[in-house]
Amino acid sequence: MATVAPLLTRRLSRLQSLALQARYVRVIAKTEFKLKYADSALGYVWSLIKPLVYFAVLLAVFGSFFKLNTVFADYPIYLLIGIVMYTFFADAAGMTMLSFVVRASLLAKLAFPRVVIPLSATTVATLTFLINLSAVAGFIAWYRIVPNVGWLLLPILLLEFYVFTFGIALILATLFVRFRDVGQVWELVALLLFYVTPIIYPVSYLPADARPIALLNPLAQVIQDVRRVILHRAPEGTIVTAPDVLGQWGRVYPIAITLLVLGVAWLLYKREEPWLAERI
Amino acid sequence: MTLKEYFLHPFHRTTYERNCALNGVNFRVERGEFFGVIGPNGSGKTTLLKILAGILRPTSGTVAVNGRLSPFLELGVGFNPALNARDNVLINGTLLGLTPKQLERSFDKIIAFAELERFVDQKLKNYSAGMQVRLAYAVAIHVPFDILLLDEVLAVGDQSFQEKCFATFDGFRQERKTMVLVSHDLGSVERFCDRVLVLWDGRPAGIGPPDEMIDRYLTLEGIR
Repeated sequence: MATVAPLLTRRLSRLQSLALQARYVRVIAKTEFKLKYADSALGYVWSLIKPLVYFAVLLAVFGSFFKLNTVFADYPIYLLIGIVMYTFFADAAGMTMLSFVVRASLLAKLAFPRVVIPLSATTVATLTFLINLSAVAGFIAWYRIVPNVGWLLLPILLLEFYVFTFGIALILATLFVRFRDVGQVWELVALLLFYVTPIIYPVSYLPADARPIALLNPLAQVIQDVRRVILHRAPEGTIVTAPDVLGQWGRVYPIAITLLVLGVAWLLYKREEPWLAERI
Repeated sequence: MTLKEYFLHPFHRTTYERNCALNGVNFRVERGEFFGVIGPNGSGKTTLLKILAGILRPTSGTVAVNGRLSPFLELGVGFNPALNARDNVLINGTLLGLTPKQLERSFDKIIAFAELERFVDQKLKNYSAGMQVRLAYAVAIHVPFDILLLDEVLAVGDQSFQEKCFATFDGFRQERKTMVLVSHDLGSVERFCDRVLVLWDGRPAGIGPPDEMIDRYLTLEGIR
């Protein structure tokens, strides 16, 4: 069986090859981002409006009508963080799932490490996420929340979030090339995840025995940790994080799951990579 | 394939015919050689180039490529009609392996070769197919390569462009670059190639000097 190495990288050292791949990701992501917002006047703003409108509606329904606003004072920020983060996860996964197929012409005409394509898709989602973060920052300032030392943990938490998202996204992208109904399956899974993860509700609303399971979910663990860090002024016990229900080392489990997901994604991708161009 | 097919019929996974695009192809191209590949449509020529370029993996056999390969299998990989020529050269050049610095240095030369100075800021969708080929070829030859793969794409350009391309071929020969050329233009195959492979229905029908191989191909086609 022949080993076909991406020939553009063949004469290059490891470092040069990585630099080449980085340039690939950069140029593809930049192009995609440009095209996404190029023709529409509102485009740029639309990716900001979507989660904000979502937030407004959910705040009205769950904050006001379902009276979650009474559970603790900063419920709006609590909700907003959850929505913005979940939006990144869902958008990144959805876009990346289609990325190989959308870029079929590139796959058919050029040899390069195929992982560049899902990396570009998640990069575009990350850029959108950063734009949304500016809205969150605005709200945080308006609610007069002051950063403290704990905020230094945020980059690490967001990194874990990205790694998990990328793992799921890569699995979806690889499977989608072969089985197009993965798209339908994902629609359902994404919906389920939205309700299983404590985005709208506080963890205390779950029955006691369900809480450990809920926080095994890396999405839940990271979102709760981010909330705890930003809302450090929230009353003790209102924002439940992994160590509260899974023991002192509770975070290890969802982190382990994250790494497992990444591992599975990588193995699956590596197995399918040589045949992607053919199967598309 | 759908998940349903995958799980319901575990022993009859494929419902399509097994199609062998290439079978028993065996050849060697030396450095500095211009190697032609001819054959009817569907004979496996593009598949062969894709395997050489590392895009497709052969189900059996080995491929050995020594040197940096520039594939020119289609008009401007990564070209996007919604963007202008400047952006597209950047995209295409990067995908072909150029660094930002190299692109900066070569940009004017690329546009000059393509003779498209007036249209640099226009969107590519306003370009004719011939103009797009000019641009794409101009980028491809400014990428440092040892081996060039060309898949019958030059035919779209006009006469003066074709002559310009053929002039670059002479330049490659002097620099001892290797070229694998797939073409239906038997005239240029005869003019430039040192050896030619004839593909017929995925199988090699002969390798040898261009005039003999062209003869063989035309005989197989029933033209001669």
